[in-house]
Amino acid sequence: MITSRNPLRDRVAFAGAATTGFVAENTGRSQASLAAEACIKVLRECGLTAKDVDGICGTSPSAPYVQSMLGIPEVTWFANPAMPLVNHVAAAVSAVASGLCETVLAYHAAYRLPWNTGSAWKDPFRRGSSGGPLPLNGVVDSVFGSVGYTAWASRYLHEFGTPREHLGYVAVNDRSNAAMNPAAAMRDPLTMDDYLAARMVRWPLCLYDMDIAVDGADAFVITTAERARDLPNPPVLVDAVALGMAGKNDEDQSVDLDHHGQQITVAALKAKSDFWIDDCDVYYPYDGFSIITLNWIENAGWCGRGEAGDFLAEHWDKEQQRVLINGRVPINSHGGSLSEGGTQGSGHLREAVHQLQGKAGARQVEGAQRAIVTAGGFFFNAQGVTLHRM
Amino acid sequence: MITDEQLLDAFAGYGVDRDNAAHFRGRLEHRLLINRCGDCGVWQHPPRPVCPACWSTNVTAQPVSGTGTIYLAVFLHQGPPAPGVDYSTPYPLVTVELDEQPGLRFTATVIGADNDDIAIGARVHLDWIERGGVPVPAFGLGGAS
Repeated sequence: MITSRNPLRDRVAFAGAATTGFVAENTGRSQASLAAEACIKVLRECGLTAKDVDGICGTSPSAPYVQSMLGIPEVTWFANPAMPLVNHVAAAVSAVASGLCETVLAYHAAYRLPWNTGSAWKDPFRRGSSGGPLPLNGVVDSVFGSVGYTAWASRYLHEFGTPREHLGYVAVNDRSNAAMNPAAAMRDPLTMDDYLAARMVRWPLCLYDMDIAVDGADAFVITTAERARDLPNPPVLVDAVALGMAGKNDEDQSVDLDHHGQQITVAALKAKSDFWIDDCDVYYPYDGFSIITLNWIENAGWCGRGEAGDFLAEHWDKEQQRVLINGRVPINSHGGSLSEGGTQGSGHLREAVHQLQGKAGARQVEGAQRAIVTAGGFFFNAQGVTLHRM
Repeated sequence: MITDEQLLDAFAGYGVDRDNAAHFRGRLEHRLLINRCGDCGVWQHPPRPVCPACWSTNVTAQPVSGTGTIYLAVFLHQGPPAPGVDYSTPYPLVTVELDEQPGLRFTATVIGADNDDIAIGARVHLDWIERGGVPVPAFGLGGAS
């Protein structure tokens, strides 16, 4: 059931967002130290101290760990949601809107772990934190986890006869945007020829269709609209949030490409939001795998089913080697998961906040007022948030 | 019949629990068992303890024909180490829509076929391989074994 009920609209704001930047190599640092750096940075940018925080929200390290690490004396609310990051937004915004707390420190530390990069295994401190060897039996014959997106990519290509170049546009667009983002892990130019020549990892997806394991962290201050007005940064108001999920949400049981979490997320956001794609200035469709982005673009309504690749080609700026919808709206202006780094959506969210605050540097879309973030994939993690400038 | 401890040992790493134990016991006899509601007849997978259609708890693991049509198909050029799996030839992994019910799907590898012949829409039948000392369901191309 989808309703237009949305009492939180414009009552909660992002007062700030900060990042450590991301690297695709093992830093000699812990996940906690990355989280701490981002958290301290965002609090200082907001002119806040530990005493001003009364809510904490993050996945790893846990909220209690972060509270003690940063010496935050008292909180009245905390949560450790699963990723991706709109889960954190939904939890924190709800807590602030309902009065469980007033000012939330939300954070996400991306960290290269032995299960997502072989070279991370070489760091004994990371190896030690992995909790022992993964159970391997049965894993190879399952499409659970990341293989699920590859499996549904095969279905998409089968149904629409999509050439691989259509996935390649997502990768090249991300890389061209990342070149303008000092926080991004991968900033060297990537051409379509590079994409097509890349090593296949899980057919039909190649190396450049998959996000990059990185070290780095983002942090956010989420508070009441009233409080945010008194802080130094321009407040970014939360317009609507949705976490969409369909009854059939196991990777291989999802009904089809037209019945998963993305359609529900979009319908809920459109019902609750004051604006949609015709009025947005920047758009952040998740791209942990390139196939997810094509589906978000279609499900958000930018074009019809199976047409995302043609849409990207039509709005391709040849000189800049990136997408500018109608010559104006960039897609994943920070470089996304494929080039800024695999941040499980925190990079998308941070960049949306920075664009609306006018703090996006060389990537700034002039006068950006409204942003749409559609994070996550298909099954149990499709989610979105609409943001606008006060 | 083997004990629960023996079942868990035999399928270490497969995530055997109370709700899917019957399915894994079936594997030991080369029988593919899928949960079905004894009241309304709806099939479900993976195994859950209640019928999602009518909320009956009269759900038991029942044999399926093992015939169906490939719905999703990937080829792993790399992946987790597994006994007998050599990624030098990409490892096929297919999600098959079983004939018993629209949308009822089971995921497994394909054996005895060239990768070029494994495609969405192809008909398959159930077969079995041995891995790590236990039977593992697999599919062969064609409607009948």
